[in-house]
Amino acid sequence: MENILSVKSLKHVFSKSTAIDNMSFEVQRGEIFGFLGPSGAGKTTTIKILTGQLHPTSGTALLFDVPSTQVNQPKYLKKFGVMTDNSGLYNRLSVYDNLHLYCELYSVENKQKRIDEVLDMVNLMDEKRKVVSKLSKGMLQRVTLARALLHEPELLFLDEPTGALDPANSRHIHHGLQELNRRGTTIFLTTHDMLEAESLCHRVAFLNKGKVQLLDEPSKLRRKYSDDTLTVELVTGEKRILENGPKGAQKLYEYMSSGQVVTLFSNEPTLGDIFVDVTGRSLV
Amino acid sequence: MSFSLKRIYAIFYKDLKDLMKNMFVLTTVLTPVLFAVLTVQSEPLHFDVHYLIINLVFIMTTVFLQGAIIAEEKEKNTLRGLMMSPATTTEILIGKSGLSVLLTIITLALCIRITGYEFVYANALFLALFLSFILYLAMGTLLGLLARTVVEASLVLMPLMFVFGLGSLLLEIISDYPSLVFLEYLPNFHLQFLVEAVDAGKAFREVTGNLIVIALWMVFVCFLTVMVYRKREVDGK
Ligand SMILES: Nc1ncnc2c1ncn2[C@@H]1O[C@H](COP(=O)(O)OP(=O)(O)OP(=O)(O)O)[C@@H](O)[C@H]1O
Ligand SMILES: [Mg+2]
Repeated sequence: MENILSVKSLKHVFSKSTAIDNMSFEVQRGEIFGFLGPSGAGKTTTIKILTGQLHPTSGTALLFDVPSTQVNQPKYLKKFGVMTDNSGLYNRLSVYDNLHLYCELYSVENKQKRIDEVLDMVNLMDEKRKVVSKLSKGMLQRVTLARALLHEPELLFLDEPTGALDPANSRHIHHGLQELNRRGTTIFLTTHDMLEAESLCHRVAFLNKGKVQLLDEPSKLRRKYSDDTLTVELVTGEKRILENGPKGAQKLYEYMSSGQVVTLFSNEPTLGDIFVDVTGRSLV
Repeated sequence: MSFSLKRIYAIFYKDLKDLMKNMFVLTTVLTPVLFAVLTVQSEPLHFDVHYLIINLVFIMTTVFLQGAIIAEEKEKNTLRGLMMSPATTTEILIGKSGLSVLLTIITLALCIRITGYEFVYANALFLALFLSFILYLAMGTLLGLLARTVVEASLVLMPLMFVFGLGSLLLEIISDYPSLVFLEYLPNFHLQFLVEAVDAGKAFREVTGNLIVIALWMVFVCFLTVMVYRKREVDGK
């Protein structure tokens, strides 16, 4: 697999504090890569370094094999899209005007059609002609997302794309992002929502205090940190924990043959549980 | 370098649409016209006053408008989006100057019409005005890049008005304080010296000194503006 992004020994120090500390990882072309970490972990700082908005104190980050410090040339800027806390919109203009400007800046063809497509993807067709200053916070976030998608980038950086959204809109956007990914866009997203990471990301990195503490596929992580037991809930309302082995199988056979089982589930930890396990910190 | 007029126009058009809904900036920009209307009520105007008004246009319209629209892009976090787009620095800076150019020309034309100022047709004068115009555009951009908010940009305008807008009045003040004599190297004074000279029928080569001072200012401020812009590109904000 080709690496679209590769980060080596990255470090960033703000005047006093170290925000990114010896960070290394790779993102493969075609994947949805999740950066999971609590507030202040360094998620936004990482995106800003990767997209050339900040120069790292030391270490390197390569995007399309180009150092992030040289990525701010038109030919590379065309290939990626970014949405972070500093992606502002023009308040006095309409949603359409905002998007139209970006179509021109990115030389998007078939502007009207593309604007409709992205608006549909973020579920904002009805707000097309509305002035931006009249939108709610979640709507603003969705317009910013739509804007980042306009030029169909190869690589998309999203900083907490569903942070201000209700569950229905989050789900709508998750579907959209998956569709985008199927059509070839690599997505790098940050979140502190473990469910989002679990349902959306092919691989996740756990970030804590500027360090990547763990990196793998969500299902592999869950298996790795699972304690290999099952829980059965019986008709009496009791819960029994069964070991994976002959003893547990025997018990389960007994419960099931006497028709006592109501539900049965594996005790795989959630990503949130694993995060606490590994970092000693909770995600939010 | 490829150069896209479409992108430049898109930025300009966006600014124009935006300004039509921005009363605060729109009214400030047109104050020199009001000033011209008020002064013309009195005697036939000495050309000092004409140049006071022209300098006022440069400060209130060119510098302020340019500073305000750049500062607002920063305040609302929209400048980053332009920087992250494939538009080049040149395209962005030219696009963002379009509106100030247009409004400066409109205000200047209105003021000159109102005051009835008659240009001496001399190449030196037009060159000096052109260089000054670029200088003030760059100064406005610089102001916008340094100020954090539109309000901050308008506050910085006050001392600028004092230095650049007062014209010959300030020259008289300076003459009382020998230590302030370096202020005579300000570009607005050299524009004024040049106008006086041209008015008195002096030839191009006799005012080259003034032109050089103005040109040096222009180059210096443009250079500074591009430096600050490049720094802003990687400040992470
Ligand atoms: N401009 C800055 N100047 C100084 N310190 C900063 C700056 N930006 C971020 N930091 C510090 O760097 C660390 C990482 O911040 P960052 O914004 O990357 O965290 P984050 O993971 O995005 O958090 P959140 O989930 O709250 O957005 C924090 O300790 C923060 O205080
Ligand atoms: Mg953040």
